[in-house]
Amino acid sequence: MSKSKGRKRKNEDEYDLQTILEDDISNDGTTEAAVPQASGRNAEKNDDGIQEDEYGAKDYRMHLELKTDHSSRPLYVAPNGHIFLETFSPVYKNAHDFLIAISEPVCRPEHIHEYKLTAYSLYAAVSVGLQTHDIIEYLRRLCKTSIPKGIEEFIKLCTLSYGKVKLVLKHNRYFIESPHPEILQKLLKDPVIQQCRLKRTEENMGEEFIKSQQNMKGVTFGQKTTVEEPEGNNEKNQVPEDLQKLIDNEEEEEEVNLETVSFEVDQEKIEIIQKRCIEIDHPLLAEYDFRNDTINKDINIDLKPAAVLRPYQEKSLRKMFGNGRARSGVIVLPCGAGKSLVGVTACCTVRKRALVLCNSGVSVEQWKQQFKMWSTADDSMICRFTSEAKDKPMGCGILITTYSMITHTQKRSWEAEQTMKWLQEQEWGIMVLDEVHTIPAKMFRRVLTIVQSHCKLGLTATLLREDDKIADLNFLIGPKLYEANWLELQKNGYIARVACAEVWCPMTAEFYREYLIAKVSKRMLLYVMNPNKFRMCQYLIQYHERRGDKIIVFSDNVFALKHYAKKMNKPYIYGPTLQNERIQILQNFKFNPKVNTIFVSKVADTSFDLPEANVLIQISSHGGSRRQEAQRLGRILRAKKGSFAEEYNAFFYTLVSQDTMEMSYSRKRQRFLVNQGYSYKVITHLSGMDEDQSLFYKTREEQGQLLQQVLAASDIDCEDEKVPGEIGGSRPGTSRKTGGFSSLSGADNEVYFEQKKKSSVQHPLFKRFR
Amino acid sequence: MVNVLKGVLVECDPAMKQFLLHLDEKLILGRKFILQELDEKHLFIASDIVETLQAKIDDLMDRISFPLHEKDN
Repeated sequence: MSKSKGRKRKNEDEYDLQTILEDDISNDGTTEAAVPQASGRNAEKNDDGIQEDEYGAKDYRMHLELKTDHSSRPLYVAPNGHIFLETFSPVYKNAHDFLIAISEPVCRPEHIHEYKLTAYSLYAAVSVGLQTHDIIEYLRRLCKTSIPKGIEEFIKLCTLSYGKVKLVLKHNRYFIESPHPEILQKLLKDPVIQQCRLKRTEENMGEEFIKSQQNMKGVTFGQKTTVEEPEGNNEKNQVPEDLQKLIDNEEEEEEVNLETVSFEVDQEKIEIIQKRCIEIDHPLLAEYDFRNDTINKDINIDLKPAAVLRPYQEKSLRKMFGNGRARSGVIVLPCGAGKSLVGVTACCTVRKRALVLCNSGVSVEQWKQQFKMWSTADDSMICRFTSEAKDKPMGCGILITTYSMITHTQKRSWEAEQTMKWLQEQEWGIMVLDEVHTIPAKMFRRVLTIVQSHCKLGLTATLLREDDKIADLNFLIGPKLYEANWLELQKNGYIARVACAEVWCPMTAEFYREYLIAKVSKRMLLYVMNPNKFRMCQYLIQYHERRGDKIIVFSDNVFALKHYAKKMNKPYIYGPTLQNERIQILQNFKFNPKVNTIFVSKVADTSFDLPEANVLIQISSHGGSRRQEAQRLGRILRAKKGSFAEEYNAFFYTLVSQDTMEMSYSRKRQRFLVNQGYSYKVITHLSGMDEDQSLFYKTREEQGQLLQQVLAASDIDCEDEKVPGEIGGSRPGTSRKTGGFSSLSGADNEVYFEQKKKSSVQHPLFKRFR
Repeated sequence: MVNVLKGVLVECDPAMKQFLLHLDEKLILGRKFILQELDEKHLFIASDIVETLQAKIDDLMDRISFPLHEKDN
């Protein structure tokens, strides 16, 4: 099934490229696949013919040679491109940083991490300045065994031609630049690229390039805050000498002057040229030489001395500004780990006009606060551009707006029109794209055609989409520059320690009966409205309110949202809730000790900053979306104060109705977080619930009335809330889990299990019963 | 006249009982198999259907469980 799906997608992509070609240049009948050749390369099949045991474990003993000092080296490289790293190795930190740069994390539980080499990850590695030779050499030294031949070749193939050409925006004109004239010659022989070349002056038709010099120098961010790490002398002894030398050399930065050549290209055809270059295996890196940009005025903005970057934030920025220029790319940090500070620091480093794009009006306000908190920017420098707040843009240094505001195609007010005009005329130094994974590719392209920006920084918590469009970001923005490890941040106290629980609510007999005969659309409402789920939810809320926690309850289904909230007499926010009412509810939630619980629909999935909340209960969700699960978890991830005494300081419950499709969705949703190293507890019973007389829907009659209400609900009530601008149809599906409090105190009636990756051949013992 | 039917006592949770009733009513297994409803959690069913029934329930469980290891791509 997955195979045929993949093919379909490919076809769609093909179609996509063709329409672009048709739109922009006369179609010369190209039907080449838009999927870049490079990304088609895959090491996955390099180990065909290897013996597998019945669980899918592979036997490489015949192919790889174990080094004698293998115990002091931290990782294995499998011939299929997967890398396994021991987290308890003394050189773990260095190896981890290196692997993050060259490969994609697949699964990162506590002791062994799995990474995978892909064409894109190697592209990203080259773009942050790693050379083919270094990658192989370093990998060879870190590996417990010899490096498989196929992998070495794979790395060479994927990296040799990469990183040689750069797309540079200078003086509002785009140039393709390279230190190797022969590569530019080769590019120009390509008919597609030839068409994109812009010849300003008629007489300069020759193949001459513009020559220039580039000075590479490191950049520091605000105050120098890095604490010199104490030398781990005792540990050093265990590290082989060659490895140690490499680690020591790593930090040193070189200062070189590079001779480069370049030619100019047409701005409107940037995307074609980028795609084309990927196809011919010379992907373009977008860079901005902001220090030598004299055309654009510097804006007067600096980090406040109080703004201290955490080590991982600094590391991510180092990747971005590695050679003294600003690279475009995506930085992946979990929600609550301080993405905005990274954005603000990037703006302060570039010190040119900055454009910040985010999802909603609320997050525009939050970004403004962030800028005022961390940097010296004041009201006069920050301009908001939303439907509610339109500040005067002239003379400001930072413009904060939403994606929909920029891409709006209908008529605007005169004021907005003026701002847009101004915005289009500007040459932006840096564009920060918040929650970059959420934007539909089309909308994104529109933004890129409207706004001219020297470099683009994408920020996101989860670089995944159910529709696999993430690869698009690679050429729309740039490679992934950095991805943080959730568990590590959690261990260091940068984000909250979350206990995840899936609470199983048995369906009542009456509800299950209706569920079995109901239409598919109605089924969802039946399992969301399951009286047992309601009771568990109410019990959880009461329990956590007694503890003094702040609780957010999520429901995608509006019917359920309203019913739950009204029955329990709690405030709720959903799509149609007005902006000032939202702010009022959020303020109350923040400061009013009487408002400890709010109900929200999926409008709160992203960018609602609710630092106080530490308990999250999901009663209904968007099918099997992994992203939504991660985003929601992010709502409670912000580090909690003074809570180091407890093992966990935040709780994430999903209530699931047993024996329904919800179970399957819920399992699907958990994949991402499980891969980040989280484990879910399953709670089947909350002790004390049966005795609690204050819970609603105790009696059969009450439950019967509820059932009548559900059955009388219209079809529209059965659907998830539709948020404008969302991509893809909503799948009918909700998941709930209930959690037991017994588990918090030491567990009595709970079934606990950790989810592990299972082999593809499932043992019959594990197959049944979830 | 006395009819003798061989049967099996089934104990299950209320929701599962509804599932069995559903199978019985809609003749999903091809015929009726419940001999007697006893109470909320207990049923008396024909003993020769047990195997088919087990397969059917496994099927349900498989449908609502999702293999975690499934490759993302």
